[in-house]
Amino acid sequence: MGLNAYLTLAAVVFCIGLFGVMSRRNTIGILLGIELMLNAVNINLVAFSRFVGNVDGMIFTVFTICITVSEAALGLAIVILLFRVRRTVTADHLDLLKG
Amino acid sequence: MNAETIAFAALALVLVGSALMVVLSTNLFHAVLWLALALTGTAGIFLLLEAEFLAAVQLLLYAGGIITIVVFAIVVTERLVGESITQTNRRIVGGGLVALALVGIIANAIADSPLPTTRPPLTSDLTRAVGETVLTRYALPFELLALLMVAALLGAIYFARPDD
Amino acid sequence: MMNDAGLFALVSLLLPALSFLVLAVVYPFRRLGRPAAWFSIACAAGSLAAAALAWDAHADGDVSRLLWAWLPTGGEVLATVGVLADAQSTVMLTLVALVAFLVQLYSIGYLSDESPPALGRYYVYQSLFAFSMMGLVLAPNFLQLFICWELVGLCSYLLIGFWYQRPSAARAAVKAFWITKAGDVGLLIGIVLLWRHTGTFDFFEMRGLAESGAIPLAGLSLITFFIYLGAVGKSAQFPLHIWLPDAMEGPTPVSALIHAATMVTAGVYMLVRTEWLFALTPDVLLIVAFVGAFTALLAAVLACVQDDIKRVLAYSTVSQLGYMMTAIGAGYAAAGFLHLLTHGVFKALLFLGAGALIHAVHSNDLKDMGGLARRMPQTAIVFVIGTLSLAGIPFFAGFLSKEGILGATLAGGLMAPFAVLMLVAFLTAFYMFRVVFLALFASRAMHASPLQPADASPIHHDAVEATHGSPVHDPPATMVLPLWILAIGSVGIGLYFTFVHPEEEFVNPGWLMPAAVVTAVAGIALAWMAYQKRSIDAAGLANAFAPIRTAALRRFWLDDLFEGIYNLVFLGFSKLVGWIDRYLVDGVLNALSAWTLTAGDDVRTIQSGKAQDYVYGVAVGLLVLLLWARWVLA
Repeated sequence: MGLNAYLTLAAVVFCIGLFGVMSRRNTIGILLGIELMLNAVNINLVAFSRFVGNVDGMIFTVFTICITVSEAALGLAIVILLFRVRRTVTADHLDLLKG
Repeated sequence: MNAETIAFAALALVLVGSALMVVLSTNLFHAVLWLALALTGTAGIFLLLEAEFLAAVQLLLYAGGIITIVVFAIVVTERLVGESITQTNRRIVGGGLVALALVGIIANAIADSPLPTTRPPLTSDLTRAVGETVLTRYALPFELLALLMVAALLGAIYFARPDD
Repeated sequence: MMNDAGLFALVSLLLPALSFLVLAVVYPFRRLGRPAAWFSIACAAGSLAAAALAWDAHADGDVSRLLWAWLPTGGEVLATVGVLADAQSTVMLTLVALVAFLVQLYSIGYLSDESPPALGRYYVYQSLFAFSMMGLVLAPNFLQLFICWELVGLCSYLLIGFWYQRPSAARAAVKAFWITKAGDVGLLIGIVLLWRHTGTFDFFEMRGLAESGAIPLAGLSLITFFIYLGAVGKSAQFPLHIWLPDAMEGPTPVSALIHAATMVTAGVYMLVRTEWLFALTPDVLLIVAFVGAFTALLAAVLACVQDDIKRVLAYSTVSQLGYMMTAIGAGYAAAGFLHLLTHGVFKALLFLGAGALIHAVHSNDLKDMGGLARRMPQTAIVFVIGTLSLAGIPFFAGFLSKEGILGATLAGGLMAPFAVLMLVAFLTAFYMFRVVFLALFASRAMHASPLQPADASPIHHDAVEATHGSPVHDPPATMVLPLWILAIGSVGIGLYFTFVHPEEEFVNPGWLMPAAVVTAVAGIALAWMAYQKRSIDAAGLANAFAPIRTAALRRFWLDDLFEGIYNLVFLGFSKLVGWIDRYLVDGVLNALSAWTLTAGDDVRTIQSGKAQDYVYGVAVGLLVLLLWARWVLA
């Protein structure tokens, strides 16, 4: 299997994640979409690293995974906090960004 | 059709299918489980790429850690809401078209690019190489990462603490 | 060539500019009125002295050119400003400075009833005019000439409309401005075309080109014709002469300065200045001559039927300008220029004299005057001197210059214009002495109207005094002094030319001088018989020429024609434009603004405040960016 197969697979997964971020009504669902997107990035990093023969990509994958875990922990904490304040986890109701 | 191709096709099928289920499932709890399957599939891809260490990290941290956290969050919020949280989508057509178009463009760009079809043979142990590089060239980012995780941990605790 | 002689001319030019700047900028000083006026007069006096010195220095043919670069373009100089002082321009400069000074002095008395701010404003305009006119006279190139040309037009507008509270004055100012502007467009086109043709604006360089035959003749006629159009507007030639009589709405000293002695002669002066250019296009010169002669006749006929003393003088000015143009058209610009100078002196005299009469009786109408000679002896004497000069009686200023023009026309071989000019000479003497007799000598009862029986309104002329309470008498010294200076000038020039003949480029036939004198005397005699002696019934005379008279009273329908054109073409066009503006332009704009409002209202909703919507936006943006990068950039 060539590099392009891996990259295409990653692109598909990324766009599915993007679709989830755009369309999910539940905040936790949005977070799941983000996880998918990051996962796709990881696939890309590893694939490039392996096909180019440079180990840096893999190390960045380690970093990404760590950061993703932090992000997930914080994101979920925020969701819980939001829920406490606004009494909802539906993204539609969270329109505080409006000026 | 060699074994690698078959393995890739199967993994890709699992990955894409479970990813789709993650974003389409109406049950949030099921969606999380589908995500776990997708992450496991990714770990399989890593194995295909001969990155055993990363596959292990993926399984342990991602499939283990994140899933645990998410399930925990769901349980907490459901307990707060007092009902089971259902998951619905909106803007399916618009979002779907945009996502499809993006896939199309990216796939088209990838197909047009002169990418290597074969990987160079491994000369040494990949896990060993990763470990050595992390502790030499990437020592400082690695330590900063530790700091980040501590901060995230403290932040999560701060956010989630009960009201005074 | 920097020398003292040129500096005199420059000083003469800049003193009025100084006066203008001081009065225009130092607002409280201007509002004082009289001090401002005296400051302006002092500057004018200094300017006159400098001009006289400049004339003295250049009379023997020296030329001074002081040039400063203006409009530099990439190392080269497109245009210069400065002073071109030679015999021609300095004598004209002296005339301008003289008349400007005398008029400013005279105005102190004439405008004594004005409020101080109005008086200050008047002198600001006067100073600006003096500066602009001198700049025009001394212009070393067409560009400066044009700028000053427009500036004097502006001053003319401002001064005609000095009493802007009067609707007729405001209308006359606008009319004068627009009609002269119509000619100015031609002048501007001509100047630009000429620049393309020769590559220079400079008179000096252009004259060199012209005399060495380096100017291609093809297409030159059109250019000179365009330039002539500017002169037609400014110097009130047919058919653009109609603004000048209306311009009499301004104060009389203004009429004397701008609309008799200086500004209206600018067109003639420009043709004199560029005679070497016009000499290359004899066909245009022929037009100049014939239009000039026709204008002279037309205006002279019109002058015969006017009852407004200033309008008589205004038509007389138009007529005399036609004279000068005819001489230029005949190819003898010097003869026209000489008449310009003498005319400037005695026509200013006539206008200022008329101003004195008007000041005394508070009316422009000849019917309100009569027998004023007994009451205003000094004014009467100088007015008669001016009239004799204009009529072309020997020993007075106009005699020789008028004969020069007649001779020039004859020498140029233009028989028809010559005959017309002889007729005009007769008419000139007639209409001017009609004014003299009606205003100064005949009793009012005798001329109530040429069409009415003489005894229909037997009012004694003392009634004039009764109408406005104060006795009619000669004006104060500041007004009489300019009159006497100009009168002495008229006689002095006449006597000087009687003994020192200028060098003529042509020889007059021996019969010309007696013929001209007899013609003038005949005109005077007819006027005397009709309006003083009354041995010829004025009404009968009028009836004999009834068709012409009727036509002349309607100004030969020219004003009606212009008004018709104006109403039909311009108002029609502006109505069309107004409709387009109101419904098409405004409609589009209103539709656009309404559309913008609704569009803004619609677009506003994308600012939902929801992070997901923004992600959607980002994704679409990314899509567009990728599409663009892949298929447009590649």
